Amino acid sequence: MSTLAQQIVNGLVLGALIGLIALGYTMLYGIVQLINFAHGEVFMVGAFGAHFVSLRLLPADTPWYTALPVMCVTAVAVSVAVAVAVERLAYRPLRGAHKLAPLITALGVSILLQEVVRVFYPGATAPLAFPRAFPDGHLVLGPVTVLWTGVLALAVAPLLAAALHLYVERSRLGRAMRATAQDPETARLMGIDPDRVILATFVLGAALAGVGAVLYGIHYTQIDTAIGFQNGIFAFTAAVLGGIGSIRGAMLGALSIGLVKSLAGQYAWGGAQYDYVWVFALLILVLMFRPQGFLGRPERVRA
Amino acid sequence: MTLVAERLFMSFGGLLALDGVSLTVPDGGVVGLIGTNGAGKSTVLKAVSGLLRPHRGEIRLRGRPIHHLPAHAVLAAGVAHCPEGRRLFAGMTVEENLRLGGHLRRDRHVAKDMARVYDLFPVLGERRTQRAGLFSGGEQQMLAIGRALMARPALLMFDEPTMGLSPIMIRRILDTIALLRNQGTTILMVEQNALAALMLADHGYVIDLGRTTMSGPGTDLLADPRVRAAYLG
Amino acid sequence: MKSKTTGVLSALLAVVTATGTSACAAGKTETAGSAGGCDTSKGTLVVGVIAPMSGKLSAIGLGIRNSVQLAVDQANAACAVKGYQLAMDAQDDEANPDKGAAAAQRFADDPNVVGVVGSYNSGVARAIQPKIAAAKLLLISPGNTDPVLSRGADFATAPKRQYGNYFRVVGTDDLQGPFNARYMVQKEGKKKLAIITDGKAVGESSATEFAKEAERLGAQIVIREKVNENDSDFSSVLTKVKTLNPEAIFVGSEYHVAGPLSKQARDLGLNVPVSGTDGLFDPQFIALGGKDGDVATSVGAPIDKLDSGKAFVDAYKKKGFSDGYGGFGAFAFDAANVIVASAGKVTASGGWSGGLEQRAELIRQVQEYRTDSGANGTIGFDQYGDSVNKMFTVYKVTSGAWKDVLSDQFEAK
Repeated sequence: MSTLAQQIVNGLVLGALIGLIALGYTMLYGIVQLINFAHGEVFMVGAFGAHFVSLRLLPADTPWYTALPVMCVTAVAVSVAVAVAVERLAYRPLRGAHKLAPLITALGVSILLQEVVRVFYPGATAPLAFPRAFPDGHLVLGPVTVLWTGVLALAVAPLLAAALHLYVERSRLGRAMRATAQDPETARLMGIDPDRVILATFVLGAALAGVGAVLYGIHYTQIDTAIGFQNGIFAFTAAVLGGIGSIRGAMLGALSIGLVKSLAGQYAWGGAQYDYVWVFALLILVLMFRPQGFLGRPERVRA
Repeated sequence: MTLVAERLFMSFGGLLALDGVSLTVPDGGVVGLIGTNGAGKSTVLKAVSGLLRPHRGEIRLRGRPIHHLPAHAVLAAGVAHCPEGRRLFAGMTVEENLRLGGHLRRDRHVAKDMARVYDLFPVLGERRTQRAGLFSGGEQQMLAIGRALMARPALLMFDEPTMGLSPIMIRRILDTIALLRNQGTTILMVEQNALAALMLADHGYVIDLGRTTMSGPGTDLLADPRVRAAYLG
Repeated sequence: MKSKTTGVLSALLAVVTATGTSACAAGKTETAGSAGGCDTSKGTLVVGVIAPMSGKLSAIGLGIRNSVQLAVDQANAACAVKGYQLAMDAQDDEANPDKGAAAAQRFADDPNVVGVVGSYNSGVARAIQPKIAAAKLLLISPGNTDPVLSRGADFATAPKRQYGNYFRVVGTDDLQGPFNARYMVQKEGKKKLAIITDGKAVGESSATEFAKEAERLGAQIVIREKVNENDSDFSSVLTKVKTLNPEAIFVGSEYHVAGPLSKQARDLGLNVPVSGTDGLFDPQFIALGGKDGDVATSVGAPIDKLDSGKAFVDAYKKKGFSDGYGGFGAFAFDAANVIVASAGKVTASGGWSGGLEQRAELIRQVQEYRTDSGANGTIGFDQYGDSVNKMFTVYKVTSGAWKDVLSDQFEAK
């Protein structure tokens, strides 16, 4: 019983962190039908940005409550800057091109960003220890122990997802985003500039990835250039599982993936060795019976 | 003149869609475009609203060239396009659709204009929180008109506003357009119901194979035997 | 539009390729001026290096490269190979067998290459061996610990030399795994042990040998689990392990897995030592989460216990390399010196043609090679190409740094 509870918490923490990346995937797909495989790398550069500011610019004795916000702001700034640059230089010229072109470009950008960080960031050819910008202890709830960084992730990730959901539902820009998602041509007739909406989507997704990167770094205390790819795959899977285009779906999908990975490692046949297998088995199973994912709308053919 | 379009040329895949169309819409006037399917009527509207870009020719709104502007900037310049098939945001509520119609507006009169739309179409006011996709064709057309009005445009363009509607609804929509005309709205409309269009219009153009083949006051065109034979038969 | 599109794509590709190659191309680094007083009229001979200089194992790979550079520089200064200037050509294998094999092929085709120091990863060596066998290119590994590479799949029961041109200066897993087990069970008194591996060949083989010896000594393996090498979150598998109350965890992987794993175990309240083989023995293990009490066994004696080892460390530091020599720099240094010394003998009576005959002669010289003053003490090879030096050392994290606990010659039982 206590093991079950512990595994559930383990899974939720992992899921919450993946969820922050999944939000970016789901928004971009919802609005431009672009699978931005470089989004994982946007997350990764955020982590390196935070690492840089903490180790190179902040005095070593900076208290965590100062360091953490500074790192978050930096990570968000770096992630957003990279995402905007990628959108401008790689995706915008391809707008209106065949759907495969941006997809292949996304893969290229993903490799490019990994290589650039690997080659130019000092020490990034190997895993780097991430600064521990949060109280190091853990919360003990009966039989369950959670690191405070895990508690933070569990609190912040769903909160940000909810805030994003509200923003998209209530704000003027959110309305423009939804209009562009539903019918880009008519949205233009409403005076909505699709380029601005797409850029805003990249910015929002990157900002969440930047926050996610810091939470990830302080929780696992190590980063490397491959974290974007590894977690990006899970985040993309989460977005598909939850219903790509759906914000709540992405978070739900990510939490499900975290739970399955952790519970399958404990209870399923084959143990931790096969936990990935169970994650993707879940994906296949859900897609077989509900191709649109948990909360997605069935794909409509546009007039 | 609210709108002047001069010698518009446009082709898709080698087929000439516009072959030198010219037309003008005077301030406060209603201009109707009639013609067979595929004659190029909708293409003219899309060229004006910036959804399509003419290869040659010039379009001026109140003297200012707009043919090089992207669609979202054309709306800002003052042209609202109520597209064929209504193209509402089906997943959004009535109110959200109207807000999108007034998306670019930053003035304080948005709420007042929304109230005016609800006055014009009380059914929309009663169901303002319902999703647009749940409405009947006629109600959707009302919403599409209301949405276009929300932009307070200098020129309002309708593309087939009565298509697929019941006779009662057709009547209702045409009455609304007449009402807007009487209030001084400048209108450019494409309508396959030539009789209705020419009765509403101060001025009409017959478009055929991408060219303006005839033009004149609506009543004159209605009386023209060639028009009667080709479009009113 | 179209031309713009292709332009952007090709530019992108160009950048990707450029960064890719610049990362790989460590290139030839000759040392200018070092041949000052020596006769180098006969040209340049190349010592190749194949090591993971980027990626998660780069701390190890860069240490290997720099140490070979040091050996080559010293040889040039001492005119070790008469008539020749020596140069190093280091290729990054990124711990990837395909990359390693491609680099090996290039070295084999180049008559100026006398021998290669590499690879670090056993998996990479497996891809390299058949590529260079026919060319009789000398390969001395500073880090392969998989016994199969030298003695074949039946290494324990029916050992058989696999490749005449393959040598290594480190001890193998079939010795290191049991050596680790003896320490954990007999010295630390751990009777209930958990094993976690990353699925790579080297981790699996050391874990299997560890388990055999531990069970022979009366300990119990309560669970054996596999994790994905790219994972960062081991909380699930550790929660499972915790339910079985092990007294220690043997991790068959390297520091980038074992470090975070050690930290996460403690965070979950599973405060037991993590133990592993040489892949853990790196300062990065501690930086990434390794805690006091964690154990690593490694090949050879502690470097600063031997005068020759200290000399290596001093010389390395004097060079001012930006990366440390890591867990395997000293072995790479010894391996490079074996190549240099043997090449010196072969070329003493004439020049170097790079022909098969001469490469075979070089291999004979290596087989005969023997010294007691390597950075790791005794360097020499048995009939399988394995090191005759069966010395291993236990290191333990103490006050946040590795500290050697005991060194011993391993004897099979």
